[in-house]
Amino acid sequence: MLGNGTRDARRTERYLNGLMAADERRAPDVPVDTELDPAIRVAAQALRSDLVRVHPSFRFEESLSARLAAGALRLGSGLPVDAETAAVPGTVAPFRGRSAAPVEEPVAAAFVELAAAPIVEPAAPPAPSTHSRAIWPAAAFRRLPDMSARPSRPFIVGGVGVASAAISIGAVYVAWRHSHPASSRMGRAARAAHGRTGHSGHGRRSGVINGILGVVS
Amino acid sequence: MFGNAEEGARPARLDRDRGLVEAARRDPSRFDALYRKYLAQVYSYAFYELRDHHAAEDATERVFMQALAGLPRFEERVDEFIASRAPVSAADSAEFSTFRVWLFRIARNVVANERRRDRRRPVTPLEAAAELSAPGDVVEAAAAREAVGAAWQAVARLPEDRRRAIILRFVDEMSTAEIAAVLDRSEGAVRVLLHRALRSVADDLRGGLS
Repeated sequence: MLGNGTRDARRTERYLNGLMAADERRAPDVPVDTELDPAIRVAAQALRSDLVRVHPSFRFEESLSARLAAGALRLGSGLPVDAETAAVPGTVAPFRGRSAAPVEEPVAAAFVELAAAPIVEPAAPPAPSTHSRAIWPAAAFRRLPDMSARPSRPFIVGGVGVASAAISIGAVYVAWRHSHPASSRMGRAARAAHGRTGHSGHGRRSGVINGILGVVS
Repeated sequence: MFGNAEEGARPARLDRDRGLVEAARRDPSRFDALYRKYLAQVYSYAFYELRDHHAAEDATERVFMQALAGLPRFEERVDEFIASRAPVSAADSAEFSTFRVWLFRIARNVVANERRRDRRRPVTPLEAAAELSAPGDVVEAAAAREAVGAAWQAVARLPEDRRRAIILRFVDEMSTAEIAAVLDRSEGAVRVLLHRALRSVADDLRGGLS
C-alpha cells in the first residue's frame, strides 16, 4: 500500500518522464495526470526551460582535450596520469569529427544548449556534440513552441571582457604614440622644422589646445 | 559491468557507453570520445553547483583527469556501487550509462570539495544568472534573464540533496535510477526528493510572482 507522499512522488516522476520525452520528440503537449498538482507542473515546466545546459568555451575544451591526450599517452606508457602537468609539447590533441581547419573562437566564448528548443542543425557545425539537444548559436534564435512559450536563448559564459580589453589596449597605445613620437630622422627633422625642442607630445597637445582656444576666443 | 562473461558472477548487461568505455580501456587515447560526450554535462553540473565559470572549469578538469586516471580500475569500482542498481532489462539499460554515473560520482566529490574549500566570493544566483547574457532584443533578454534568475534563486534555496537531484534531472537529464546511483540513494528516495524539491520551487516561484 503506497502512502500519499509516495503516490504523489510517482505521479511527479511520470510527468517528468513525459516532459523529457516530449522534448525529445518535439511534441508540444505532455500527458498530464489530472491528479498531479498544477503547481508542480508549472514549476517543472519553468525549470525545464530555465535550467539550461551550459557549455564551456571552445578554448577550454581544446585545452583540456590536449591535457587528457597527454595524460592518455602517459597512461598508455604505464605512467601515472598527472593532472598538474601541462600538455606535452608537440602533442597533437585529437579533433575527432572536426575539419582540419582551426576552429575560430567566437567573440562569445561559450553558449548553452537550450531546453526544449527545436533543433536546427547548421550545415557544418564547428564542433560536434553527441547530445541530441545540442544546438548552435546561429540556430538558437527560435521561439519555443511548447508550454513555456519562451524564446530560445543562446546564453554566453565567459569571454565577455575580451572586446573591451582590446579597445582599452588600443586607446592606451594611441595615447602613448601621441606622447612618444618616433625617433626617426624624419621625426627629428619635423620637430626641428617646427622649433619644438621639449617634449613634443606636450607641444603638440598645447598646439591643439591653443588652436581650439583661438577658435573659441 | 564491463567484465568478461567468463567471470560468471557478474551479469552481462547492456550499457549505453559500453563500447566507448571498452575502447578507451584498450587505448586511453580513445577516452577523448567519452570526454567530448560528457564535457558539457559535467561542466553544467559544476557550474550550477559552484556558480562560477572559472571554478566550474577547474572542477571539470579535475573530474576528467581523475576519470582518465581511474579508467583501468573502472570495472571494480563500478561493481562496488552500481551493479546492484543498474537496470537488468534491455529497454531500461539502453538509457543507463554506468560510465556516466561513475563520472558524476567523481564530479559530485570534486564539486563538494570545491564548495568546501572555495569561500573566496559567494556568488548569488542572480549574479550567476547575469553572466548568462543573451544577445538580441534587450527587453526580451532582460525578461529571459529575470526568469532564469528566479529559477536559479529557487533552486539555490533548496537543501543540498534536493538541489543536486534537480540539477541532475533537469540539466543533465538523468533518469531516477541514474540519479539514485550518483547520489547513493534508493530510487524511492530520489522520487521523493524531486517531488519535494518541485513543491518548494513552486512555492518559491509563486511567492515571487505575488
